[in-house]
Amino acid sequence: MATRTRRAEHKDVAGQQKQRKGIPKVPTGIGGLDEVLRGGLPAGRLTLLSGGAGSGKSLMGLQSLLHSAAAGEPGILVLFEERAAAVRQNARSLGWDLAALEQKRLICLMEAGVSPELVISGDFSITGLLAILDHHIKVMGARRIVIDAVDTLLYLYDSPVRERQELFALHEWLLDRGLTAIMTVKTIQQDESPSRYAFLDFMADCVIHVDQRVTVQIATRRLRVIKYRGSGYGRNEYPFIIGENGINVIPITSNVLQHSPPGPKVSSGQAQLDGILDGGYKRGTSVLIVGTAGSGKTTLACMFAQAACLRGERVLYINFEESPESMVSNMVSPGVLLAPMIKAGRLIVQSYLPESMGVEEHLFLALKALDTIHPQHVVVDAISACKRMGSEHAAFDYLMRVLNACKERGITCFYLVQATGLDVVAEISGIGISSIIDAVVLLRQHPIGDTITRQLIVLKSRGSRHSEQYHEFRITDRGIVLVQASPVDTMSRSASLPGHGRN
Amino acid sequence: MIKTRRRAEGKASVAGGTAYTFRLFVAGNESNSTQARENLARLCEKHLKGRYRIDIVDVLKDATSAFKYRVLLTPLLIMIKPRPEASVLGNLSDTKKVLATLRLTGDAQ
Repeated sequence: MATRTRRAEHKDVAGQQKQRKGIPKVPTGIGGLDEVLRGGLPAGRLTLLSGGAGSGKSLMGLQSLLHSAAAGEPGILVLFEERAAAVRQNARSLGWDLAALEQKRLICLMEAGVSPELVISGDFSITGLLAILDHHIKVMGARRIVIDAVDTLLYLYDSPVRERQELFALHEWLLDRGLTAIMTVKTIQQDESPSRYAFLDFMADCVIHVDQRVTVQIATRRLRVIKYRGSGYGRNEYPFIIGENGINVIPITSNVLQHSPPGPKVSSGQAQLDGILDGGYKRGTSVLIVGTAGSGKTTLACMFAQAACLRGERVLYINFEESPESMVSNMVSPGVLLAPMIKAGRLIVQSYLPESMGVEEHLFLALKALDTIHPQHVVVDAISACKRMGSEHAAFDYLMRVLNACKERGITCFYLVQATGLDVVAEISGIGISSIIDAVVLLRQHPIGDTITRQLIVLKSRGSRHSEQYHEFRITDRGIVLVQASPVDTMSRSASLPGHGRN
Repeated sequence: MIKTRRRAEGKASVAGGTAYTFRLFVAGNESNSTQARENLARLCEKHLKGRYRIDIVDVLKDATSAFKYRVLLTPLLIMIKPRPEASVLGNLSDTKKVLATLRLTGDAQ
């Protein structure tokens, strides 16, 4: 009795260990994808990559093969559609020397295209292909295989039963050889394809779907893991881009609730505003600067950047409104000198047209900048332009991800918002990110008589005291200057935005 | 390079430009391949008696030739002579289609 129990216990422990260890995996080497797949593709198993034309599935297959080849693991690429020369050229444009890997027998390209003029009389099989592949596997010791556009082959069969039989034969063959395989399949129409190739989904151990969609003339690429036998995986839809180094998937790994607590105060770059904010902003938090056009948002942000750079910190300024040159020259008049900061490499200005690329590309560039520049602070000017990346949703996606990335890294994040109407508070709430914003500074201007009066108020400053009054200010040749000293006695604690009726 | 098995019926000694040369790629004794072999032999005997030669290539034994000629699907019939080359994929069960592809429909005897 006791022995049995012990044995059962032992078995249990072994089972747990096995489960914890998980199935053996092979990394794809594709940035972000291995994270989504929790390590990579199932080793010695079949992974199905499905997607429409131009969705990037072939490139994904090629990239993973190149990665393994570069690591010394030989692989075969079977091309049912593309010519080998075209693939070599594609690889070259992404910075890979495919020919060199071929010479070292680490990669073998096999054109398997069947002429559309081929006359078919009666039944046939793919035995020839398998015989050739067997030969290559033996010669080069291949462990990996990518079969591109397998559907082209299947279309030769006019019977779904035969299609299925041949695919099963192929799958059996792959398993027998212990190859880590990727098969790509074109899905043509959303409603037709799943039924036609549904059995493929059942057959494969891992199924990844990629697609490219166009919203408001801007194309975005997405990837989703449909299933992964014996493994956990990221279940969301992940944006990816095809950049200069190939495919990069942007996984959502950040959890808003796991951010480190905000750090000590950091000066706003304006002594009087520091007084209003009880010492300044908090490091590593998010700050929204809201105001209509010409209200001084950029000036306020640049004053902060200048002060930070003077302290020896680095600031990344993502500008969607103007070029670095025009920003520098526009800031000369209010007395903010950015050129020396840029020259010293402390202020990095990156200007982009929002509509020039899809949201994932913008996101990729921003995240890359965070990880290469390692700034202490980030300014995005202005987030109201982000809608032009495609849609409100795209803008939200971008802002959320950048904000999360900043919070994870303890970076102070400034979002500038161009308000269009009078009900500024409603506008802020409309962007949908106000709840995770830590501090809000509102700038407003209204005509009194012949002049314009500018006012500033701190609407919110989480976990910190701040003034609740409007403060009149001017934009002078020494930057923003408050007309009256801040009355510290009116400070109060605030944790949320005041009511909507106030603007 | 190609290991062939000549069919006794189609004497290779037939001289002149009228000779037909076929290369049939098969995969061992797979049923499709066996059928193709039989169908081709019957068709040749009927239409090209004494004027043809058939080389059989088994891709399971000779992968190099299969790769050289890019034979991925079997059985595959290639008519080497007369030029231009013509090929038919499958077990050759559709005699009419095969004859038409091999340009044997009109002048066939």
